[in-house]
Amino acid sequence: MASTHTEHRTGAAAMAGELRERLGPDRVLTDRTGLKAYECDGLTGYRVVPALVALPESTEEVAAVVAACAREGIPYVARGAGTGLSGGALPVADGVVVSLARMRRILDVDLPNQRMTVEPGVTNADITRAVAAHDLYFAPDPSSQTVCTIGGNVAENSGGAHCMKYGFTSNHVHAMTLVLPDASVVTVGGDGTEVVGPDLRGAVIGSEGTLAIATSVTVRLLRRPEAVRTLVADFTSPAAAGEAVSGIIAAGIVPAAVEMLDALAIEACEAAVHAGFSLDTAAALVVELDGPADECDEGFAQVERICREAGTTGIRFATDPDERALIWKGRKAAFAAMGRISPDYFVQDGVIPRTRLGEVLARMQEMADEAGLRVANVFHAGDGNLHPLVLYDAAVPGESERGEHLSTAIAELCVEMGGSITGEHGVGTDKACSMPKMFSEDDLAVMRRMRAAFDPAGISNPGKIFPTPRLCGERPGPYRVHPLEAAGLIERM
Amino acid sequence: MTATAQRHDVARPATVAETAAVLGDSAGTVLVRGGGTKLDWAGRVPDPDLVLDTTGLTGVLTHNPGDMTASVRAGSTLTALQEHLAASGQWLALDPPDAGATLGGLLAAGDSGPSRLRYGGLRDHVIGVTLVLADGTVARSGGHVIKNVAGYDLAKLMYGSLGSLAVVAEVVLRLHPRPAASLTITGPADAAHATAAVLALAASPLEPAAVGWLSGEPGTLLVRVDGTPGPVRASGTRLVALLAGLGIDAAPLPAADAATAWADQAAGVRGEPGETIVRVAGRPGDLAALAGHAGDAAGRAGVGFRLVSSAGMGLHTVRLHGGTAPAHAQVLAALREHARSRGASVLLRSRSPELDDLVDALGPPPSTAALLRSIKAQFDPAGRLAPGRFQPWF
Repeated sequence: MASTHTEHRTGAAAMAGELRERLGPDRVLTDRTGLKAYECDGLTGYRVVPALVALPESTEEVAAVVAACAREGIPYVARGAGTGLSGGALPVADGVVVSLARMRRILDVDLPNQRMTVEPGVTNADITRAVAAHDLYFAPDPSSQTVCTIGGNVAENSGGAHCMKYGFTSNHVHAMTLVLPDASVVTVGGDGTEVVGPDLRGAVIGSEGTLAIATSVTVRLLRRPEAVRTLVADFTSPAAAGEAVSGIIAAGIVPAAVEMLDALAIEACEAAVHAGFSLDTAAALVVELDGPADECDEGFAQVERICREAGTTGIRFATDPDERALIWKGRKAAFAAMGRISPDYFVQDGVIPRTRLGEVLARMQEMADEAGLRVANVFHAGDGNLHPLVLYDAAVPGESERGEHLSTAIAELCVEMGGSITGEHGVGTDKACSMPKMFSEDDLAVMRRMRAAFDPAGISNPGKIFPTPRLCGERPGPYRVHPLEAAGLIERM
Repeated sequence: MTATAQRHDVARPATVAETAAVLGDSAGTVLVRGGGTKLDWAGRVPDPDLVLDTTGLTGVLTHNPGDMTASVRAGSTLTALQEHLAASGQWLALDPPDAGATLGGLLAAGDSGPSRLRYGGLRDHVIGVTLVLADGTVARSGGHVIKNVAGYDLAKLMYGSLGSLAVVAEVVLRLHPRPAASLTITGPADAAHATAAVLALAASPLEPAAVGWLSGEPGTLLVRVDGTPGPVRASGTRLVALLAGLGIDAAPLPAADAATAWADQAAGVRGEPGETIVRVAGRPGDLAALAGHAGDAAGRAGVGFRLVSSAGMGLHTVRLHGGTAPAHAQVLAALREHARSRGASVLLRSRSPELDDLVDALGPPPSTAALLRSIKAQFDPAGRLAPGRFQPWF
């Protein structure tokens, strides 16, 4: 290890001069203070200070940085806004961070064909903002959409509250320009919805920066729906709210969004945003339909009836866009709002077959009781994507470890139930050690073959997605103290 | 054909394990064959040592109506699956032209039908996949839940791979509720009017499920909306008005006639024996330009020409009939040149052996050719699967 360490230092130092010449002195950072700003993403528990941060402004400059890394054998990590919640943009010690934050140009807008080509640093919300006047929008809507970038959305295949009806980033990208780990520049996807040969576009989306860096993305825009109807229905238990969701699905309705908050989550959201959720209810269900007005109205009447049949204790209708926006503000603030009710928390991102919700909630409650911790729940209830928030106090000795253990156990419970360890946050650094719970050695070996096809030297965001003995200890399985942490290579908040 | 067919060994496994055994215990080249509806797409695979027939690999393994998911052995035909799902009021929202196609074949071919406009293509519906590699390795990706970003999505690599990377053994699918009602509006429209209609429909809030166009004198536009009876009727009325505003005199079709109209469209995409079939994918707004360009090229070459278009998505099937093989080659070259200038893609599907001698089946290599070769080398280092399918790209 020591020799590799030295080699990288030398390489990164040698590269700094070369890159400063290429990019300009202010776009290559090597000072400790500047580098510290890039030491973590939204998963702040993992921190690694990189050796160098490059801020390219074009595809050619990205390729130049990657070429230098490839030549020196130095690992690099692409980074957008750093809002990811799985440590996908965690730097590699002695490696390079390629920040795409300065690539924020809109390159082309084709209104008639409803598409736009943007650089990777353009934010999700800015895509929609650029075409809102034409009644168009970009459908994926992760909660962080005002800050997160399209490059990050591509890396994580981001979804959001409305992905049950509209799908994920993968469903909304026509084409991309990529810089591959050998610094070659290729185009994947195309103008049409079919290309000749394998769907490399789809293979790269969601690969968490381990296969390529997207330097331009052509996104599909949708016509804004004619009507949107939103209600919040209160229930005496999350299971009862779950019954209402089952009824809606069974009626053949595909809602734009179905979100559920439990009492703890509501308490936090209300303290932070005052969105008007009932504080005395066990569960709130947010249901939104959209589409042509006639279709939307008919479906909405049905949803109301189904909620009443499922025993709702009260329904609040969003009567205007402002009220709808307030409801969504409350929901989307859920994670950040946890600070109001707990000093610290872990966000989980498991997915279960929706029909097993009641069973999973009961097991989660047992596990929380056993750990002596509280768990707040926010779900994308339509597609079974759970966001249990494990609340703890890092100041209390042992709570942080118990919280982390519980959070991991919840993700692995989702796998046992036939689901997934991650619905939208990605595997990143955080869940790499849980991958063997979900995939066999052969599955992972074939995925590694795919990685090797793109990146034989393994320099593009190494240490993410795949479990390694170094990261996970010799035995795959339940979470243990992080060897990197034990070695003092990473720090934890 | 019969001469080479006699030299093939044929294996017809019924399970993933048997498929793995067939590949793991053999050497030599392999052609994976499902419904056999698309074996003549892209490059030819000459004289494989083994034909791996997937039509024994059938059956619905799980169907969870409440979760709207199903897992299926990949040799099952789409028709059989749809029959199974219909009992629960659900469907795989895919309506490709070949009724006999298998799910594995559809994934490998990346084929879809007019409903892709609203529901997406098969790449959007496959949430999990089980593959058997050429060395017999069995690998899964994805899972049984709709929302899942754990690990690489190997199904995407299969999409469009035409059997060159691995055998698709099982798929897990996202399902949709079967629409309670559908309504198709049709009217005469030439390419220019159809193009205007496609763009106006996309800009409207009416969310059509499918938009088709068939060339002719002047040509026929088809628009379908899905939903429940009342709203579908209301959308139909609005569609007729929208099209009238563009100078297209359209009217709703009775249900039986609508089924026939879409069946004709599917038959048009399949084409007829002896034709050269070329698939072009571009931007929806380029329909008239393509139709004009292809029509002119065909006219110059003395070749009959028809265009069947999933116009809302910019997916076009160009059919050439009559004339000589060199004349077809001339039109193909013109189409490729036009597509290149517009950023569109061109896939040569069915054609005569005479045309094969005159043209390159794949056209100029894309910027990703080296990457594709690298993927092929990782997944099938011995080059066993469908050799020649993507020659000379990989």
